[in-house]
Amino acid sequence: MHNAALKKEPYPPGDFGIWIIIYVELITFGLFFIGYAFSRRANLEMFNHSQLMLETTSGFINTLLLVTSSYFVVKAVTSIQNMTDNRREEFNKKASKWLFLAMIFSAGFLVNKIFEFSHMFGEGLTLSTNKFFMFYFMLTGFHFMHVLLGSIILFNIFQKTRIYGYTIEDHKGIVSGAAYWHMVDFLWIILFPLVYIIR
Amino acid sequence: MTKTLEIVWIILVGLTIFAYLLGHLHYINSFFVAILLVTTFIKVQLVLDYFMELKNVTGKYRWIPSIWLSIVMSLIAVAYYLPA
Repeated sequence: MHNAALKKEPYPPGDFGIWIIIYVELITFGLFFIGYAFSRRANLEMFNHSQLMLETTSGFINTLLLVTSSYFVVKAVTSIQNMTDNRREEFNKKASKWLFLAMIFSAGFLVNKIFEFSHMFGEGLTLSTNKFFMFYFMLTGFHFMHVLLGSIILFNIFQKTRIYGYTIEDHKGIVSGAAYWHMVDFLWIILFPLVYIIR
Repeated sequence: MTKTLEIVWIILVGLTIFAYLLGHLHYINSFFVAILLVTTFIKVQLVLDYFMELKNVTGKYRWIPSIWLSIVMSLIAVAYYLPA
């Protein structure tokens, strides 16, 4: 994006520790996704019937919210990466505006998901209703926790941009937080068609 | 580069609308499931390459998430298409 556009880097952007966390999350969610797909295969009719009770529009809106918030986050990172030493305040301010938008969209996701969960619980659907809803609540509930954690991370990064805390030499924090947020985004990109659409 | 990010975002939104319409209009059959799996693969790869900037990374660290994605999407396809 900055100098890296010309020269390939040996390590992924951000702190390597965040990538260890991302790899662990990939294994965990990967097993969940595959487990869902094979359980569905073994209980086809029940899964297809139960899936009709889901609110596809809510899942669709949440996908748009996450994808767009991811875009805002990458714009914030780009603002910091394009910073020049004598205009530190200006570029941090720019990043904080993008992060603020990202936080609004992440809050939108959380609120929409809470409404979706409360509607499901209102219908008497729980983890123990059947295997489909066990997977539904576990996958989306686990993902919800990640969005919540990601939102806290975004808030911390946002706070740091407000005190002009990122410099051209030291901005690993925002890049690491962004990497986590993008992971939360692409896990949902798989989850949405898998659980809400494919039948 | 700025335009690239906007184009990636438009593709992500466009493919999401496409997936939603398929589900909403109940146009789901084996053919469209294959299309959905391929478009989902493309969407995640775009996030990895352009939002997470992995296209600027060389060697195994670029490919680990892509290999994970290939395995997961392939096994989902196997679970869907393998005859009972």
